[in-house]
Amino acid sequence: MDRLCQAYWKAVYKYIRLRWNRPIDDTQDLTQGFFVELIERSLLAKYDPAKSRLRTYLRVCVDSFVMNEEKAAKRHKRGGNIQHVALDFTSAEQELGTAAIDPAAIPCPESLERFFEKEWLRSLFGLAVEELRDRCEQEQRGTTFRLFEAYDLAGDDSVSYQHLAQDFGIPVTDVTNALSWARREFRRISLGRLREICGSEAEFQREARAVFGWVPK
Amino acid sequence: MNKVLLGVLLGAVLGAVDGATAWFTPEVRAMLVGIIFGSTIKGLIAGLAAGIFARKVNSVPLGILFGLAVGFALAFLVAYLQHGHYFAILLPGSIVGLIVGYATQRYGAAPATAGR
Amino acid sequence: MKFLSDKAVERLRAAGDEPDLTGTRYRLLERVARGGMGVVYAAQDEKLERRIALKVLDEPRDDDVLANRERESRLLRESRVLARLEHPGIVPVHDAGTLSDGRIFYAMKFVQGQRLDEIIETVKPAPDRLRLFLRICDAVGFAHARGVLHRDLKPANVMVGPFGEVLVMDWGLAKILPDNAESEPRAAPGSQSLANNASDAPQDAGSTQTRDSTLTGDGSVMGTPGYMSPEQARGEVRLLDARSDIFSLGALLHFLLEGAEANGSTQRPRPLTAICAKAMAERPDNRYKAVSELAADVSRYLDGQPVSAYRENMFERAGRFYRRHQVAILLIATYLIMRALLLFYPRS
Repeated sequence: MDRLCQAYWKAVYKYIRLRWNRPIDDTQDLTQGFFVELIERSLLAKYDPAKSRLRTYLRVCVDSFVMNEEKAAKRHKRGGNIQHVALDFTSAEQELGTAAIDPAAIPCPESLERFFEKEWLRSLFGLAVEELRDRCEQEQRGTTFRLFEAYDLAGDDSVSYQHLAQDFGIPVTDVTNALSWARREFRRISLGRLREICGSEAEFQREARAVFGWVPK
Repeated sequence: MNKVLLGVLLGAVLGAVDGATAWFTPEVRAMLVGIIFGSTIKGLIAGLAAGIFARKVNSVPLGILFGLAVGFALAFLVAYLQHGHYFAILLPGSIVGLIVGYATQRYGAAPATAGR
Repeated sequence: MKFLSDKAVERLRAAGDEPDLTGTRYRLLERVARGGMGVVYAAQDEKLERRIALKVLDEPRDDDVLANRERESRLLRESRVLARLEHPGIVPVHDAGTLSDGRIFYAMKFVQGQRLDEIIETVKPAPDRLRLFLRICDAVGFAHARGVLHRDLKPANVMVGPFGEVLVMDWGLAKILPDNAESEPRAAPGSQSLANNASDAPQDAGSTQTRDSTLTGDGSVMGTPGYMSPEQARGEVRLLDARSDIFSLGALLHFLLEGAEANGSTQRPRPLTAICAKAMAERPDNRYKAVSELAADVSRYLDGQPVSAYRENMFERAGRFYRRHQVAILLIATYLIMRALLLFYPRS
C-alpha cells in the first residue's frame, strides 16, 4: 500500500485540482482522505483486472469519493490507526504550475484518463529515478547517473553522446555503455515498482506492455 | 565498325565530296578527276590518323583538335604544291579533318580492353 | 523527488523500450527510426567491429495473441526474404534471433544515407533522377527474378547513400510468389526460437501462398495510397504479381519526374509521360510485363532512342535525331555553308 500511495498520490492530487477545481487545502485533505478511504473500505479488494486497468479504477474511485465528500461535506480527520505517509503537497502544487485554476486548462473528459495516466507515469518514473540515483551512489557510479541525468532526464535533443564524452572527458563508448547500463537498471527498477502495485501477473503484464510496449519474459 | 575503319571510310567519302566541289571552279574543271583522287587520299589519311588517335585517346575536344590539325596540315601541303588557292584548300580541308576527328570520337566501336 | 518534464517522461519511456542485448555480440548505440512493425536501432557488432542496424519487434499494446503471433511471423518473414536477396541494391541481412528479453530481432547492414523523398530536391537534372530510377529497377527486378514482390515501393522506402548508391528498404510487406515457395530457406540451426515461432504461426500445410493469405488475406489492404496498384488497393492479394510492383515503380517515376529539369525546362517530355502512363495502367495486362521492360524504355530514352511506350510523329523523330547527332549535323552544315560561300570567294 505504501508503494501504491507513493506511485499514485501526486496523480490523485493533480487530478482533483484540475478535474474538481478544488482549492489547495481542500485538495490536500481530499487526497489524504482518499487513500485512507482506500484502506478503510478495502477498495482494492473490489478491483477486477478483467474489467479495467488499476489506474482507471482508482480514478473512478477518486471521482466517487470526491462526489460523496461534497454531499456529506465532511472534513473531519480520518485514519487514526493508519500510518501516515508524508506527502509533499507543495511540490505537487508547483508541478501543476498554477496558483489559480484556469477553467480552460481543465482537460476534456476524453483526456482525463490520459492526464491521470501521464501523472501516474511521471510519479512512477520519478520514484524509479530516485532509486537509481541511490543505487548509483552506493555503487560509486556517480558519473553513470550524471550521464543519465544529462541525456535522458534533461530532455534536450541537442545533447549527443559526443557532447557528453567531451564534457566528461571520457570515450564515446564509455558514454554508450554507461547509458545502456543506467537504462537497463531504470527499466528493471520501474518494472519492479510496477509489479509491487499490481494485483496479479496478468495485470502487471498488461501495465508493462502499456508503459514500455513490451513484456519482459 | 571500329574507329579506324570509320575514320578511313568517312575521310575518304568526305575527301571525295570535297574534291568534287572543285567542279564549281571552271579553271580547274579539267583536272577534276585528279583533284577528286587527291582529295580522297587526303581525307583517307586524315581519317586513318583520326581513327588511330580515337583508339588511344577518348576525348571529343582533343579528337576534334587532332582532326583539325591533321586536316590543316595535309591541306597546307596540297596548297603549297599547288602554289596557290590556299584559302580555298585550307578551310575545307581543315573542316573535313575536324568532322572526321569528331566522328571517330563520338561513333565507332571502341577497342575491347585486353586482359592483363 | 526531482520533477520530470513531459519530454523526460517520453525519453524514459523510449529508453525503457530499448532491447536487452545481453548475450548477443551487439552493443546498442542509438535508436534510429520506428518502422511499421518495430524499432530500428544502430548497434556495434563487437565481433566484426562494424556498425549494423537492428530491427526489433515491438509487441502491440494489447492482449491480442493472434496479432502478436502475426507480427512475429511478419518480422521473421521479412528477415528471410532479405536473406535470400543478395543484391547491391537490397540491404543484406546478417543475423536473426530472439533477444534475452524475448523480443525477436534481425540484424542488417547499417545504411547511411537519406530517403529518396528527402534528397530528391538536391537532384535536379532529369537524367540523374532517371539513373537513380534505373538502379531501383535493378534491385526490384532482381527480387522479382527470385520470386519476391516488394508490395510497398515508394520514395520513403528507398535510401540514397553518400556515393549515390541506392538501396530498396522495408520489405515487411514482401510476398514470395508460389512458384518459389519450395526454395524458401529454413531457419538457421542456432535460432531455434525462430523455428518454433514459425511453426506456431497459423498456417495450412504446404504452400507459402496459403500462409501468405493468412498473413495478408484477400480483402486486407496493405500498402501506401498513391503507390499501390488498383488490385492491391482492392485487397485482391491473390492477383498480385510483378505488375503490381511495376505500377508502384511507375508512381515512383512520376514522383521523380516532378520538378526535374531537362534542357532548362521542367516540362515533362512526352515519352516519359507515356512510360509513366504505361507502367501505371489501370489493368495489369496493359502495363509492362517485367521490370526489365520498364527499365529498358527508360534507358532508351536516356540514350536518345525511341521508347516502346510512345509512338513518335515525323517531326518528333527528326527532332530526336537532331538532338542525338547535333554536333555532327552542325559540323556538316558548317562545311556546306563554307563551301557555298567559297563559290563567291574571289580567286586570285
